[in-house]
Amino acid sequence: MGFWRKYVFSIDHKVIGIQYAVTGLLFLSCGFCLMMLMRWQLAYPGQPIPFIGSWLGDTRAPGGIMLPDFYNQLGAMHGTIMVFLGVVPLAVGGFGNFVLPLQIGAVDMAFPKLNMISYWCLFVGGVIMLGSFFLPGGAAQSGWTSYAPLADIAPTGQTAWLFGMIFLITSSLLGSMNFIVTTIQLRAKGLTFFRLPFFVWAQFVTSFLLLLAFPPLEAAGVLQLMDRLAGTSFFLPTGLVVSGEILQVSGGGSPLLWQHLFWFLAHPEVYVLILPAMGIVAEIIANNTRKPLWGYRSMVYSVIVLGFLSFVVWAHHMFITGMGTVMSSFFQTTTMIMSIPSVILLSCLFISLYGASIRFNTPMLFALAFLPMFGIGGLTGLPLGLSAPDIALHDTYYVIGHFHYIVAPGTIFALFAGIYYWFPKATGRRMSEFLGKLHFWPSLIFMNGVFMPMFIQGFAGVSRRLADGGVTYSFAGNVTPLNRMMSWSAWGLALAQLPFIINFFMSMRSGVKVGNNPWHATTLEWQAPSPPPHGNFTQDIVVSHGPYEYSVPGQKEDFLPQNQPAEA
Amino acid sequence: MMNLLPDAASAHAGGIDQIIVIVHWLMAILFVGWGAFFIYVLVRFRQGRNPRADYVGVKSKLSTWLEVAVAVVEAVILIGFAVPIWAERVDQRPPDEEATVVRVVAQQFAWNIWYPGADGVFGDQDIMLVDEETNPIGLVRSGNGADDITTINQMHLPVDKPAIVRISSKDVIHSFNLPQMRIKQDAIPGLQIPVWFVPTVTTAEMRTRKGDEDYNYEIACAQLCGNSHYSMRGFLTIDTPQEYQEWLDLEATYLSGGDEDDFWAE
Amino acid sequence: MRNSLFPLKKTSHLAATLIVAAALAGPTFAGSITGTVKYDGPVPASMKRPLRMDADPGCAMKHTDPVLPEGLVLGEGQTLGNVFVQIKSGLPDKEYPVPTEPVVLDQNGCKYSPHVIGLMVNQPFKILNSDGLLHNVHSLPKINTGFNRAMPGAVKEAEFKFSKPEFMFKVKCDVHPWMGAYIAVMSHPYFMVTGPDGKFTIDGLAPGTYEIEVWQEKLKTKSATVTIAGDEAQTADFTFTPPQRKK
Repeated sequence: MGFWRKYVFSIDHKVIGIQYAVTGLLFLSCGFCLMMLMRWQLAYPGQPIPFIGSWLGDTRAPGGIMLPDFYNQLGAMHGTIMVFLGVVPLAVGGFGNFVLPLQIGAVDMAFPKLNMISYWCLFVGGVIMLGSFFLPGGAAQSGWTSYAPLADIAPTGQTAWLFGMIFLITSSLLGSMNFIVTTIQLRAKGLTFFRLPFFVWAQFVTSFLLLLAFPPLEAAGVLQLMDRLAGTSFFLPTGLVVSGEILQVSGGGSPLLWQHLFWFLAHPEVYVLILPAMGIVAEIIANNTRKPLWGYRSMVYSVIVLGFLSFVVWAHHMFITGMGTVMSSFFQTTTMIMSIPSVILLSCLFISLYGASIRFNTPMLFALAFLPMFGIGGLTGLPLGLSAPDIALHDTYYVIGHFHYIVAPGTIFALFAGIYYWFPKATGRRMSEFLGKLHFWPSLIFMNGVFMPMFIQGFAGVSRRLADGGVTYSFAGNVTPLNRMMSWSAWGLALAQLPFIINFFMSMRSGVKVGNNPWHATTLEWQAPSPPPHGNFTQDIVVSHGPYEYSVPGQKEDFLPQNQPAEA
Repeated sequence: MMNLLPDAASAHAGGIDQIIVIVHWLMAILFVGWGAFFIYVLVRFRQGRNPRADYVGVKSKLSTWLEVAVAVVEAVILIGFAVPIWAERVDQRPPDEEATVVRVVAQQFAWNIWYPGADGVFGDQDIMLVDEETNPIGLVRSGNGADDITTINQMHLPVDKPAIVRISSKDVIHSFNLPQMRIKQDAIPGLQIPVWFVPTVTTAEMRTRKGDEDYNYEIACAQLCGNSHYSMRGFLTIDTPQEYQEWLDLEATYLSGGDEDDFWAE
Repeated sequence: MRNSLFPLKKTSHLAATLIVAAALAGPTFAGSITGTVKYDGPVPASMKRPLRMDADPGCAMKHTDPVLPEGLVLGEGQTLGNVFVQIKSGLPDKEYPVPTEPVVLDQNGCKYSPHVIGLMVNQPFKILNSDGLLHNVHSLPKINTGFNRAMPGAVKEAEFKFSKPEFMFKVKCDVHPWMGAYIAVMSHPYFMVTGPDGKFTIDGLAPGTYEIEVWQEKLKTKSATVTIAGDEAQTADFTFTPPQRKK
């Protein structure tokens, strides 16, 4: 195989997985950089950005002072990049592609070429998104939610955003079909559904969410494109007057239609962000507690229920649009019901620690930190899921704090855990534990330094998406000084990632060489060579029991690989 | 936690604050419970202390009962507090005759506040009449509209009387947010959505309470509406009934004068 | 000479530059058209209602007296200010030099000054923020590329250009809706904006027959045909009357 076929237009799920993962990591750092710029503006509104302010140009930051237009671009693109180009490619595309076929004992994905196409769709979408910063008027600036009519009348960047989204959605759709078929068709002999590692279950449910939730957004994106380019009025009501001029459109559309279509995707999308992370955490916790996951079956049922329920809660994002009692009661009830499988999942992971023999290595530290961090994120969802408290908290920093706890110290910690955990499988070398811990502890502290004050600001009523962090409003006066602490924490968080970056590259070249199963794990990916060759396994895989047979009484070793029959 | 929330100045604010506090108690109990368990197991079951793990782990069904307890508490919060509060906000709006009725027409980036004037009836709107300098809401200044009062960003309401605010928008979605009144409602173009509340503390009284002469209730925009969204600030002044009438009378004087109305408007 | 072609009195040095430019460009002419624009009619109520400066405390504190709209600025004797006067047709078809000096629009006291602006294609257009408040200048051209620039208090100026001739579009502030100004992007320098005295002079005209047009934002346009035989001053006075109300 030539270089291009092997490393660029590869159809090997592991190479594609690594492509996804590296792309995801690059976009995560890109989205992080956008956020650091925003945090300057929030901490020191109206003051010139040091060092790089003068590079940004007069349309973004004349004299280094950030214009609100540019702030809004950064905000919209931070959200878009983090969600669609950072976390999803890394969690689903990266870990899903690399780990899932190995864990089910398959030689590759069911449709290798489709897999390649879905990566390159993502790549094109990402290039469009980044390129949109250089369009006249800049990138999309109507929030990652792109609410119409604002997005309908926004500058050209919004068109690029929509095209970019169509590529990203297509990528996810192709990928999700591949995962579903692979999981159903390519499991190793003896690997029944209830012998699947929880990570596979999480990816499997995630794929259904992607498959069913993304098409409405794809349709909505096309409709918004039509509104912008073809003069339709799907989301534009009659009689709009923008900046004193009557908007020349046919009208008759509904701005709320966009919100329904968007949130019909975007709520399941939240679970797309969180379920793979939970899958990773479950693997690492089982491995490092040296005991089976507690309540594996109820976890599987919970994740399936969660998947279904995630389709019937979307309008809890829209309580403030003028919802009646019946509708709001329905969506509050479904949302509260949703909290039950979530609590079960989290409880099972907590309880799994009881009776364990816990190894505190770097992946485990990140996985353990995920639990309380995700706990905070999940719990703060409760007041937001009820319409009455939502009157006070809707669209405030409380919301920002809530979902960032879920996706930043939640999902992203889980993703780091996964990188440290599966790095030896991908490279044959282990990452440095010292640098790993140097990465973990400051990250944990700074993450909380960034997000915890958001709840206080949210209580005080500070709205999100304010280009000056709220200093315009006197009711926010008591809590806006927190912005500086949050910003310094964010910049500290950036520094805390340096050990990771060093560790990542150094370990790739000169990390400690390890065998096929350095963590003494039970799941099938550890039965393949490290790194696995094209085709993955060197022996036939026949599975004889469940995924987490650790510390089985009567066994000499404290782990029993899935394909290894128990000693008599 | 109550003092983390904005000052409360409406009749229903207490109910909203109460449910926020109750939910946070539930959250705190769960978090502290989980947290205590978490720390205990991390210490107790570290590898150094417990070299061989227990294959089975927890045998008790306690966690199931805890799940049930959480579900029950959530149901109580939902049925006992959340739904009734919402129903009161949406379904129990007093009739217009018993309330002060104001319309708000949001635009990028200002709040047009619109009072029906002495006749108590709002005039008509015609988008052909929109003139950003003199008539941003396109009010027809004849018939019912002749005595209508409009301001930008300045809303006055009398204390202790229900206020109904009918919210709409000229261009994009905004969100009408009165933090101290615990009111938030999106302003959606094409729709006119009412909210109601009873302000209970006059601005003057709040100024005395806070010892801050410049204290104002503010109108904030809570939904991204464009580049200057962050500065879409209005002011709400809660007056005594007498002050409110004086303010209306003063505003009415601005309407007089001039030879004839907007004859050049098409 | 051409020193009265420009709407801003403070740009007389700009005119001086132009004199040089014109001298280099070829022969100069001394024909001129002067006149006065008046208004004959009542003042509508909407022009007497004070602007809502209290919408933004930062604006209100800059004024002690009520500020009236600028849609109908009258001087003594019903003379009409803010009227844009231009040679509509009759000029030779040629390229005119474009001043490099910018035309300035200031945001001061939450008002635009000047209220009506003429500038030439590709002439720099500078916007100042003397208020130190957030303003949001939003231009609404139909032919040119517009801009929508939020200028927070800390941002003191912005500069733009318009690349195509376009007669009269609005530029407004989206934060303070009453703030509006009108801009004409001209392909020649024969234009002027009247002050409250309603007087104008367009000079430097070669012999010929010209159509002169006056424009007022509410009262629209009037025009007259003027023939200049040599180095002479012709007169064209205009009187606007209120439009008929559509029933």
